[in-house]
Amino acid sequence: MPPPTCLRCLPIRPAPSPRSVLLCHIALPPAQTASFSATTNLSAAVAKKRPNSHTGPPKRGVKALNIKKTQRIKSGRPPAPGERKALRKRIVLSNTNALEVQGMPDLSDKNVTDASLVCRVVGIPGLVVDSLRAVEAFKPTQGWGLFRRPAALVRKETLQLGRYIREVETAEDKKTIRRVVVGERGTKDLTIGHTEYGPLFNTNPTQYVQKTYTANLLSQISKANKAVLSKLQLFQQHDLPIPIQSNISLDRLADLGARDPDVAYPIFQALWAELTAPSTKGAVRPPILFTLDGINQIMRNSAYLSTDVKSIHAHDLALVRHFINALSGAQALPNGGIVLAATCESGKPPSSALELAVAQSEARMAGAEEVPQPHPYKAMDQRVLDSMRDVEVLRLKGLDKDEARGIMEYYAASGMLRERVDEGLVAEKWTLAGGGVVGELERGSVRMRI
Amino acid sequence: MKPSVLLRHVNGVSTALKCTHPPCKGRLFRPVASKLFSTTQHQRATESIAASPIDFDSFQSTQLSRDILRKVRVVPASPSYFTGKPDFTDNLLSLQALLRKYQTLPVVQPGHAPRIAWKTHAQYKVSVSEPVKAAKYGKIVQLLHRLNHIHPSLVPEEVLEALQLYKRDVNPYDNVAVLQTVDPYGRARGVGRRKTSTATVWLVEGEGEVLINGKSLSQAFGRIHDRESAIWALKATKRIGRYNVWALVRGGGITGQAEALTLAVAKALMVHEPALKPALRRAGCVTRDPRIVERKKPGKLKARKMPAWVKR
Repeated sequence: MPPPTCLRCLPIRPAPSPRSVLLCHIALPPAQTASFSATTNLSAAVAKKRPNSHTGPPKRGVKALNIKKTQRIKSGRPPAPGERKALRKRIVLSNTNALEVQGMPDLSDKNVTDASLVCRVVGIPGLVVDSLRAVEAFKPTQGWGLFRRPAALVRKETLQLGRYIREVETAEDKKTIRRVVVGERGTKDLTIGHTEYGPLFNTNPTQYVQKTYTANLLSQISKANKAVLSKLQLFQQHDLPIPIQSNISLDRLADLGARDPDVAYPIFQALWAELTAPSTKGAVRPPILFTLDGINQIMRNSAYLSTDVKSIHAHDLALVRHFINALSGAQALPNGGIVLAATCESGKPPSSALELAVAQSEARMAGAEEVPQPHPYKAMDQRVLDSMRDVEVLRLKGLDKDEARGIMEYYAASGMLRERVDEGLVAEKWTLAGGGVVGELERGSVRMRI
Repeated sequence: MKPSVLLRHVNGVSTALKCTHPPCKGRLFRPVASKLFSTTQHQRATESIAASPIDFDSFQSTQLSRDILRKVRVVPASPSYFTGKPDFTDNLLSLQALLRKYQTLPVVQPGHAPRIAWKTHAQYKVSVSEPVKAAKYGKIVQLLHRLNHIHPSLVPEEVLEALQLYKRDVNPYDNVAVLQTVDPYGRARGVGRRKTSTATVWLVEGEGEVLINGKSLSQAFGRIHDRESAIWALKATKRIGRYNVWALVRGGGITGQAEALTLAVAKALMVHEPALKPALRRAGCVTRDPRIVERKKPGKLKARKMPAWVKR
């Protein structure tokens, strides 16, 4: 796999297929000065082969055959610890060689429910990009680094989420919306056994805390929500292992927990208690957006073992328990909020209970009389079924043709797709993407085709 | 008196007996009535020079039949007995006689006779148990070809019976492909094969949805190259967004299944639009790729790989 640095050096024009019998229509973007041009290369005359003195066989005695193994160039400096991992996991969000799309609106709280934006691509504002980067919302396998700035396609489901946000903000009775997003392939770290864990005493059943992960989580919360948390202050009394000033702002509280893993969990509990305390005149608390990606990983036994050398169920991990309480409605969010979980399709561990729960939820939503029942002879994880009892499912299918056209026009306007975007091309890419699956559409249109 | 030995095939068993009749030098088996431009059928030697056949079963006692047997002379059933290839010679001569008899009957245009696969040279040799040369057998085939062209409404039974002896057990030309049509639901079926994969495709007018074994195209094939191969017939004719594909594929590997789908989709598309055949042929979707895995041979490790060479 080529290193991420090579993505910038790649020619924009995709490699021509040897079987291609179709003509490529080059789309000229309206009146823009590109930072590079391929016109001179395309129209250059073929260079003549100049006969030089080296043509013909070598002189007698000259060694022409070199069959030694090619020596690897050993660079002097070995990479520092963590450098390779950083290079592997780094997120590039901008490609200066891509064109800037003129007239692209930005997604804001004002146009989040605007129906005229469906099938259009909107830019993500800079502050939001920083917050998303802090919570690791951008993945290295996604194509953010191919375009000038991060942007997203607005679909009908996007507007639906926008409506949820509006409802939560404007509802008088502090509504909580709990959803699971399910889709085709495109939280792992919590349950695969890669982070330290320890038991929480005086809990029954024993819960386990992952303090390093909690510290990291607090740091992300602080960075992503600095603008909001810096305006909120501590109002309750908390029994914490370290002394803190009584009116500390919540983002500084989170930073304290981020710095020291040993106090991370108590500080997390304190933060959570503050945020879920009902709003009063003096202490206004905003609604909370609580999300989790890869819910398949937590709907089963984790990779951790208890002292009895038995698998610890994922719901016995303290952080996971927090999320599950919020998702299932056991923990109410007094100030309203959205609890959103997303399944993962690639490399997912089997969880028959989750599949059943999703099927049951979809049947209920469709108003079917017969709801799928658990298999009578297979053991089903009852805890998982209980946690998903009243949760609705938002199924993301592939894009439809109009949405696919919208995103392909954005690719063409960015200069990454050099073909004319017409009905035929949209239909072809849509079908090759298995019915408009976004990741496959991007792979087929913009990335290297293999 | 010079005894001469004459042979006759009696019940399939040849018996050699001495004869007391004066020998006829040279022209022993020439039929008496034969002339250069005669239209009479070539008469068998038995009818011309030999006595009429004796029915041994009609005799009352075996002693009587034995006495008679001592006095008779055995002659061959056919003059071809003395050629190196009697059955072949008989066949050739009987076909020539048939042709001479019916050569005035009207014939169909060349190439319009019913297409029959005559026995191959090897099969004919097996049937007559004689070492017949290919060119000689070719003469028989020429005669068959000419006799086959007699107009079907006038062809005599005799000729049909004679031709039947030279036909193969199964006439491969009778195996005509069934002309597929679009069914009342608008579906056209096409079947394609590649290596050990078989694909059956139903093509129907639609929006460009593809389902392969119940999965979407991206779930069925991870490689974009394979996805394009599967719907190459639609891509080459720019009809991806006009048809829906529902396919079942079994056997083989990923590329084999994708290539089998190429052929199947092309055949189904030709049912909907037969005029696309030349375009699909240029795109390479029409010919069934006959390549299969080569068998392992004795003396080699695989089909071609030889064991390590040893000097001695």
